[in-house]
Amino acid sequence: MKNSTMLEMKGVRKSFGTVVALDDVNLQLKSSEIHGLLGGNGAGKTTLMNVLYGLYKPDRGEIYLREKKVEIQSPKDAISCGIGMVHQHFLQIDSYTVTENIVLGTRLKNRPTLDLDQEEQRIQDLSERFGLEVSPSSLVEELPMGIRQRVEILKAVYRGVDVLILDEPTTNLTPQEVESLFQSLRVMVEEGMSVVFITHKLREVLSVSDRISVLRDGRNVITLPRDEASEEVLVRAMVGEGLDVGKSLVFSDTGLDQEALQVGQEPVLRVEGLQVVNEEGNPLVKDCSFQIREKEIFGVAGVAGNGQQELAESLMGIRPIAGGQASIDDTSIVGLETRELLEMGVTYIPEDRLQDGFLPTANVAQNLILGYQRQEPYHNRGFLDWNAIFRAARELITEYNIMTPSAKEPAANLSGGNIQRVMLARAFSHPAKLLVAHNPTRGLDIGSMEFVYSKLLERKEQGMATLLLSEDLDELMLLCDRIATIYRGQFAGVLERGEFDKYQIGRMMSGVETHE
Amino acid sequence: MDQFQMQFVSFARLVMLAMVPYVLASQGTMLGGRTGLFSVSQEGIMLVGASLGFLGAYLYGSLVYGMLLAMFVGGLFGLALAYFTTTLKMNQFVIGLSLFFIGLGLSTLFPKIVIGVTLQPPLIPTLPDVPIPGLSQIPILGDIFFNQNVLVYFAILLSIFLYYLLYKTSIGLELRSVGENPKAADSLGVNVSVMRYVTAIVGGMLMGLAGAYLPMVYTGTFTQGMVQGRGWIAIALTFFGGWSPHLIFLGALFFAGVEILALRVQVAGVGVPYQFLLTLPYIATILVMIFASRRVRAPAFLGQNYDREKRTLS
Amino acid sequence: MSEQTTELGHSIKALADTLIPYILAVVAAFAAVGIFFAAVGFDVLQAYSTILFTSFRTPNGFVQTLLKYVPLLLQALAFTVPLTAGKFNIGGEGQLIVGAIGAAAVGIMFSGLPMLLLLPMVILAGIVFGGFWAAIPAWLLYRFGINEILTTVMMNFISFSLIDYVATEIWRDPTAGHPTTVPIGAGGEFPLLVAKPPLNSGIVLALAAAVIVYVYVNRTPGGYDLVATGANARASRVFGINVRVMFLLSLIVGGALAGLSGAIEVAGVHHRLIEGLQSNFLLLGIIIGLMARGNLLAVPFVAFFIAVLEVGASAMQRTMMIPVEFVFIVEALILLFVLLSDVVRRR
Repeated sequence: MKNSTMLEMKGVRKSFGTVVALDDVNLQLKSSEIHGLLGGNGAGKTTLMNVLYGLYKPDRGEIYLREKKVEIQSPKDAISCGIGMVHQHFLQIDSYTVTENIVLGTRLKNRPTLDLDQEEQRIQDLSERFGLEVSPSSLVEELPMGIRQRVEILKAVYRGVDVLILDEPTTNLTPQEVESLFQSLRVMVEEGMSVVFITHKLREVLSVSDRISVLRDGRNVITLPRDEASEEVLVRAMVGEGLDVGKSLVFSDTGLDQEALQVGQEPVLRVEGLQVVNEEGNPLVKDCSFQIREKEIFGVAGVAGNGQQELAESLMGIRPIAGGQASIDDTSIVGLETRELLEMGVTYIPEDRLQDGFLPTANVAQNLILGYQRQEPYHNRGFLDWNAIFRAARELITEYNIMTPSAKEPAANLSGGNIQRVMLARAFSHPAKLLVAHNPTRGLDIGSMEFVYSKLLERKEQGMATLLLSEDLDELMLLCDRIATIYRGQFAGVLERGEFDKYQIGRMMSGVETHE
Repeated sequence: MDQFQMQFVSFARLVMLAMVPYVLASQGTMLGGRTGLFSVSQEGIMLVGASLGFLGAYLYGSLVYGMLLAMFVGGLFGLALAYFTTTLKMNQFVIGLSLFFIGLGLSTLFPKIVIGVTLQPPLIPTLPDVPIPGLSQIPILGDIFFNQNVLVYFAILLSIFLYYLLYKTSIGLELRSVGENPKAADSLGVNVSVMRYVTAIVGGMLMGLAGAYLPMVYTGTFTQGMVQGRGWIAIALTFFGGWSPHLIFLGALFFAGVEILALRVQVAGVGVPYQFLLTLPYIATILVMIFASRRVRAPAFLGQNYDREKRTLS
Repeated sequence: MSEQTTELGHSIKALADTLIPYILAVVAAFAAVGIFFAAVGFDVLQAYSTILFTSFRTPNGFVQTLLKYVPLLLQALAFTVPLTAGKFNIGGEGQLIVGAIGAAAVGIMFSGLPMLLLLPMVILAGIVFGGFWAAIPAWLLYRFGINEILTTVMMNFISFSLIDYVATEIWRDPTAGHPTTVPIGAGGEFPLLVAKPPLNSGIVLALAAAVIVYVYVNRTPGGYDLVATGANARASRVFGINVRVMFLLSLIVGGALAGLSGAIEVAGVHHRLIEGLQSNFLLLGIIIGLMARGNLLAVPFVAFFIAVLEVGASAMQRTMMIPVEFVFIVEALILLFVLLSDVVRRR
């Protein structure tokens, strides 16, 4: 049955309010193939797959499974059609065991008690068969990201799916783990399954897919077999006419120009033996030492949850520094409050902009002054100067190209990319010596990514020091002057530009190698 | 039996009697909370339950009708809570408070319409004790546990049943998953809305019954505000019991104990103004919340609505 | 020129967008309850005309409305100020009672002092005691992270015992049939604003409080902190606002406002402490705050509307024997419909 059509989506349209996320999209999936679904963030890849999995209700469109039309209204329907999906953010019950997470929703029949020995055995067998090693009785909250992803895949294969959708599955993996994932996927397609592999990374899609479809702005661009695809064709398809690929930073092969590579001499931030602990006193960041100079972008690579957030938050005064020294321009910042740090010219772009940086019910102008409400020109003799605030807000909206009808608009109406522009505009609205940015391009479309990169480099050239924590190795290798790799709260090594090596960083990310 | 033993048995019997409204209201709260629905309308639902339980028994001449009526209306309140929060995605606290107001208003309105304004309200018979043959003959224990009214037995059996349902069945696994991570549950085909509707309605029925218990066992009539904060205490108790049926049962015994102790001390007269004894259950509630704040893990999505199509950061 | 007209046009449109759902909600609630009225056999039109116009037919009716308005406005503010920071203060009742106890205690203990001294002391005592009563749940929230809804409600129940103790044991007035204290000193009484029918000057304080709260929240950095905390406490913390202090302070300020209304009830209306003087102001205050959707500019107007309904409701019960609870159900329904209009708008 090789090369027969497994599944087909026809004329799918989906809108959220006034935003059309998908417009007349078609997708054809053959049996026993890995189908790469490529596009920038916001191109509609995830939305399309959420429609297929029954999470989103499309405005229009049809789905055919083995040439027969099916109605998929909910994930339940999708599962009974043999479709499984691994979401980018794992959908797991933290307090349940691996087995409980996997069997959840499969009604166990004729069972007076919740005795899961049989199921556990089956999970064991499956994990061996596909090379997805897990321990079925562990609590998922205690597992590292790479293992949690295996649990997510096992959820689908346990249900015996024919079609497996993987949404950006490599985000939380080291390069080595990515390769082992690809091997597992190969085993699956050889057994007759079909896989849809969603990604915004060109090289990954080229290395594993049999066929590749590209989406842009919610529309189909092309579908190609692997051997007809080339990087050039795919880049062109992803970015369209609106962007000059030659000048693009995101797709640059040659790296930055000379000016952007200049690094100053004076250290701005000095960190010595930094410790951060959780409520129980267990260390989350251990003995971190580094310096960031003027005009330097210092990157921190690592799998999510290895202490990046705690490192950033301790430097911003959001979490207490439990031990060690940290100073900016020779002034110690240990024990300072966030407000004092903001006044000193430290500025922050938090990772989770919706949770940590955004006031949905306030208006755009109120969002733009968060953290600066007691500084000039917003504050005047005990009162807020709303005229000055709105004037400044209008200027920022223009400069940062924030799409909003006015500064009085509720911020909840902004799109994801525009929210990030608000974060940037706020971070750069006052002179800054040091920027702490955590995954600043997460979830952004290619245009917005370009914008963030160019702003970061512009500020760098003006002298700002930057601490860039990112899970995107390509991003770090493009922008950073040095890259540290963090593993379980400790630096496993620091590499200078010129000695950057993806696989070496990958080994450090998984703790098998240290440098220096 | 010596004096002390008799004292103890009568105290323990009263505690079992007083634990019923706490158990029913808290298990109802726990059920909704386990699917993420945090109700704050217990006090209002219990008041309506007390009012209609009394009126139903008075009008139809049978306590059973009173209980059924109270449960029916409690279920309607639960349905309303589920509809406004799960279907219309409105704020759970705001809706809970609104339903509390409506319950409060209706609880005094109904008697005024049905009976009129009177200084001498009619009485209904109180719930009789039903000794269990054989078991009630056991010395001491028989009197405490097996010579009580039917709702005492019901409260005990309900707690055992809920424990089994939640922790020993696959329905329980699904139910708990909805309160922990509704999106994950949804993605595996668990129907989040159905779970929330069912638990809200059943929870509301239990709260209504808890209210009806008060006129049927304590007073024989409905008086304004007769729930006296038991609905609010039930919320604290649910936290205290870590949202688990068995611990909630123990917590209910504790609160019933405080209530009866305050009464006993008052009757015995120990020189403390009785007003201060009356505050004991409320002070106990606050202390219990301090204790619970340290050790208890509430359902992760407690109080949050779930919207399948809500866009999050990707 | 054209820009100015569009600006004006926008404001008018915005005002209309705000008002129309309110009007629809009021009409719908009255209609729904009216059908029920008619079914039970009451004269709907006469009942409604009593509810809506009692306040405006006689000077006495209007003064009664203003006297109701003062505690309702303050209770609504006591709920709305913490709500701005995202916290629910359900303890306005206890805060009012304890504020009243404080005011009465000072008024009785220092009854000989002249007005210039005693009146400010009485008012201050109300504010401080009310603030203190809210400070307990506020501190529990600050220190242990305990849900404030529950603790503020518990403090209400505790205050019932407290007022009973004060009014029956400490300063009991033996001539009164109901738990009541002896009167406070004449110097502690509010001067009258209008002599006949008597209207005390407490309304001036209540309105001043409303203005101060509004200006603070909308025009100062501290008010911004409060609003930001309510919009997203986590983000506010990340950007340097001490949100736990915001929670603490907003609840204490709410308690102080409720305590002020307790002082006004004692020193302005009753001139003594009476058990039950809190009436159902708490519930109405919360309904007002929620109806206004937490908007501090809208609160005074909504509070006035509810005061009109309440005065009309008592008149209706007196003259037509229709239970006042009907009006309470109308109010709860208006609230529900106002909230529903948000859902409709979202779609």
